[in-house]
Amino acid sequence: MVHVSLKAEPLFSIGPWTVTNSMIGAWIASLILLAAAVYVSRRARIVPNRTQSLVELPFEFIFGVVRDQGGRAWRQILPLIATIFMFILVANWMGILPGVGTIGYYATENGEKVLVPYVRAAAADLNFTLALAIVAFATFVGFGIRMQGLGGYLKEVLLPEPKLLAPLMGPIELISNLSRLISLSMRLFGNVFAGEVLVLVLLAIGPVFVFVVFGLELLFGIVQALVFALLAMTYVVLATIEHHAEGTSGAEGDHGSPNQSNHPAGASASGG
Amino acid sequence: MDLTPLAAGLAIGLGAIGPGIGLGIGVSKAMEAIGRNPESYTTLFVPFVLGIALTEAVAIYALVVALILIFVK
Repeated sequence: MVHVSLKAEPLFSIGPWTVTNSMIGAWIASLILLAAAVYVSRRARIVPNRTQSLVELPFEFIFGVVRDQGGRAWRQILPLIATIFMFILVANWMGILPGVGTIGYYATENGEKVLVPYVRAAAADLNFTLALAIVAFATFVGFGIRMQGLGGYLKEVLLPEPKLLAPLMGPIELISNLSRLISLSMRLFGNVFAGEVLVLVLLAIGPVFVFVVFGLELLFGIVQALVFALLAMTYVVLATIEHHAEGTSGAEGDHGSPNQSNHPAGASASGG
Repeated sequence: MDLTPLAAGLAIGLGAIGPGIGLGIGVSKAMEAIGRNPESYTTLFVPFVLGIALTEAVAIYALVVALILIFVK
């Protein structure tokens, strides 16, 4: 029988803090990133060698995306977005390494002997993804307040643009803002945890087929890291978007579309 | 009789129908756009990934419900 634990298992505790196996995974992921950053930046060259290229490759990729799509605050959010991307990427791909989730000690739980791994993929723990989502949430709210002022940001969230629909749109906007917290964390957690369960179940059915899922896991690892970083970036862009006076340009936020859809209808009516 | 596994199976099975259709529509439109105008690939990439992610989130919600049904007693 396959044993899967939804929450990370506690390993030991230092004073009042309990250390779980997913925390170990997150620490190892940050250590890998720190070591790579220190090692490469010590001996950085204009013409990179292989190690430097390997570290620069994901950064250059996310740098290009943030520069092109990051809106007017892209310089300020680039460090955070790039860190989120690379941290989740390393944490996700670590989950595929042999030993992660498989090496551990045996404990008895409800009379059953179960394996408690020493290291667990960090994103397979809701605490990890929720922490990242809270950071992203605080960032886009903070940028919204900094760029538009506290009153301006509150007005945009609570009283959106078509004034007549504001009592209806205000709560929807508020709820959609709050639900970003849940959807960001649940998406990453669900994907990574489902991947772990998939590997475990396939391992029980037929270990020969596991390599197929490994390829899939590599793909999902980078896609989910990219999706988390892109969504965090897009929320900042939406919060800091510049609101011109009525009708100066078509570059409004998502609530600008009802106004715009009137124009083609009116034009075609007058034309016909 | 414990119907919890059936509930979990139904939750993810029914919950995957909508996102499946949505992903199909989204990807087919993106492919169409790239086919008509291959240069649009770079501009399409970020909105495409975001749209896919938001559509897929619905399936993930169903998955989370199923997982909670199975693992949280």
